[in-house]
Amino acid sequence: MRLKGAQILIEELVKQGVDTVFGYPGGAVLDIYDELYKNSDRINHIITAHEQGACHAADGYARASGKTGVVIATSGPGATNLVTGIANANLDSVPLVAITGNVSVNALGRDSFQEVDIVGITQPVVKHNFMVRSVQELEQTIKEAFLIANSGRKGPVLIDIPKNVQTDMCEYGIAVVPRMPDKPKVPYVKSEVLEAIKNCHRPFIYCGGGVIASGAEKEVLELSHRLDAPVGLSMMGRTALPDSYEYNLGMCGMHGQYAATKAQAECDLMLAIGVRFSDRATGDIGEYTRKCTVIHIDIDKAEFGKNVSPDFCLQGDIKGILQDLLKDIQGVRHKEWRDEVEEFKKTRIPDRPGEFCPKNIIETVRKHTKDDTVVATDVGQHQMWTVQFYDFEQPKTLLTSGGLGTMGYGLGAAIGGCIGSGRKRTVLFTSEGSFGMNLNELCTVVSQELPITVVILDNTVLGMVRQWQGIFYEGRYSQTSLGRKTNFSALADAFGSKGYSVSTLEELEKVLEETDADPAGSFVIDCHISEDEKVLPMIPPGKSIKSIILRD
Amino acid sequence: MEERFIIDLWVNNRFGVLNRITGLYSKRGYNIETIHAGPTDVPGVTKIEIVSTGDDYMRTQVISQLEKLYDIRKVDLRTEFKED
Repeated sequence: MRLKGAQILIEELVKQGVDTVFGYPGGAVLDIYDELYKNSDRINHIITAHEQGACHAADGYARASGKTGVVIATSGPGATNLVTGIANANLDSVPLVAITGNVSVNALGRDSFQEVDIVGITQPVVKHNFMVRSVQELEQTIKEAFLIANSGRKGPVLIDIPKNVQTDMCEYGIAVVPRMPDKPKVPYVKSEVLEAIKNCHRPFIYCGGGVIASGAEKEVLELSHRLDAPVGLSMMGRTALPDSYEYNLGMCGMHGQYAATKAQAECDLMLAIGVRFSDRATGDIGEYTRKCTVIHIDIDKAEFGKNVSPDFCLQGDIKGILQDLLKDIQGVRHKEWRDEVEEFKKTRIPDRPGEFCPKNIIETVRKHTKDDTVVATDVGQHQMWTVQFYDFEQPKTLLTSGGLGTMGYGLGAAIGGCIGSGRKRTVLFTSEGSFGMNLNELCTVVSQELPITVVILDNTVLGMVRQWQGIFYEGRYSQTSLGRKTNFSALADAFGSKGYSVSTLEELEKVLEETDADPAGSFVIDCHISEDEKVLPMIPPGKSIKSIILRD
Repeated sequence: MEERFIIDLWVNNRFGVLNRITGLYSKRGYNIETIHAGPTDVPGVTKIEIVSTGDDYMRTQVISQLEKLYDIRKVDLRTEFKED
């Protein structure tokens, strides 16, 4: 079958199981958009306000649905607008295929209109990228791109398609199915690992995003039961275990729960599963694993010894490795350790009943959501409050920018997450700083008629930076008091959404009851909180649990 | 301990592959002292030799990160230098 390049792209996307793409048209992708027009019954294209929003939406779609996110942008500025979204997906290992147009091959390198070397620009932030120089390579390249994005440690792949490749004709359906090249693996001796597990008295499971990527939630839960081991989560591992599980201690690290970080510091065996030991999670690396043996399980060989030197490295798919280990692990009880952990749990940040504070706002919102509701966040204090206080029960229900910390990620991600979860009610927790970065996507929420509730924890300042300025810079609040007078409620109305402004828990409850009555509507709820709200506990950067700050 | 070492790479001969390799070094602030590239008997495969200096941590990081690159088929570490 002889087809145009643009047709080959569509046919191959359908073949790869893609039914939804996000993007923004432009001069260098006109042929692709012409084919999308003709194939709108097979591929649903979501037009956003900005390519960055489209890229975050594809990312959120991938995280919520478990499929590969696809984003399309034109050459030049369209392509460069994707860069933040691609870097974000790269650091959080999200399978994403970004497709950009470019000027014709014979115009490349001549500083043509809207020409950039997007392959060069994105090279450090992709898993791999391709420039397709002739239509004969196109089918094979798309197959490879999807394979790379989804195999091993997942990640973003960019395909740059010059305009003439989109219009040239070639035979379709002849490319070979690629396979990933074999690379040497780290060997491990199972009996030694089992011996270490058997000899421990204070086991601790540290569980990260790899567990969710591998779908190994059940195995981790079983391991925790058998070893009688408490579980701490990295931020990306949040949602791997239900919060209702009694031995789920919550998030570890800089803003983690005291019990989780303390248990991690006091354990004699740490099973680190699908984590990469980010500096935000470890703090003082010398102190971090001083007392324990570390068994690191990960699919990516380069993670072993990158930040922490483990005693055992188990390379491979987490689900498979855990299933194999579980065959030979008997159930044990560690009563003393359990008592100790119960003791750790007693150190908590005191409740503030009735106050209009972040914890109470998030818990009030939670009463109106379901266990499978997808929750997106932006980046900053509200993000930490959400991962601390929102009660997650199912995997893939949290969309948050972990590695890159991208302010402005949330609204795009919520759009993608909403579509990826079957257009069910989706909640975005954000703040006026993060929301201000990409709030233009409210128009997409409205045009796509998405049931998204945006909850703004509005403290009028750049809260996280301000918190650091308060603690480490003697209260010199440089450029963090915004002094904006944006009326988000009116702004939402102007976009065609519906806005509310609330200052008490009773008002919030009333608004949530009202919004519950309109399951198809989109809402923006501006919650006015104090500018002095802090994220606690906090371990200062590079320090250990000994330096934890528990109160203001 | 800082030591000189050679990494031999067998790579797919596609444009941009050298960029990806040197990018891994420069991203981590590692210096490349000598670099050689040339054809092999296998069509489409180029061999690249890179000489640099670094400690154990740097060596293992460079090797495992290089192995992850899609266009790299094989990575070998050599620590002995032939006397010329």
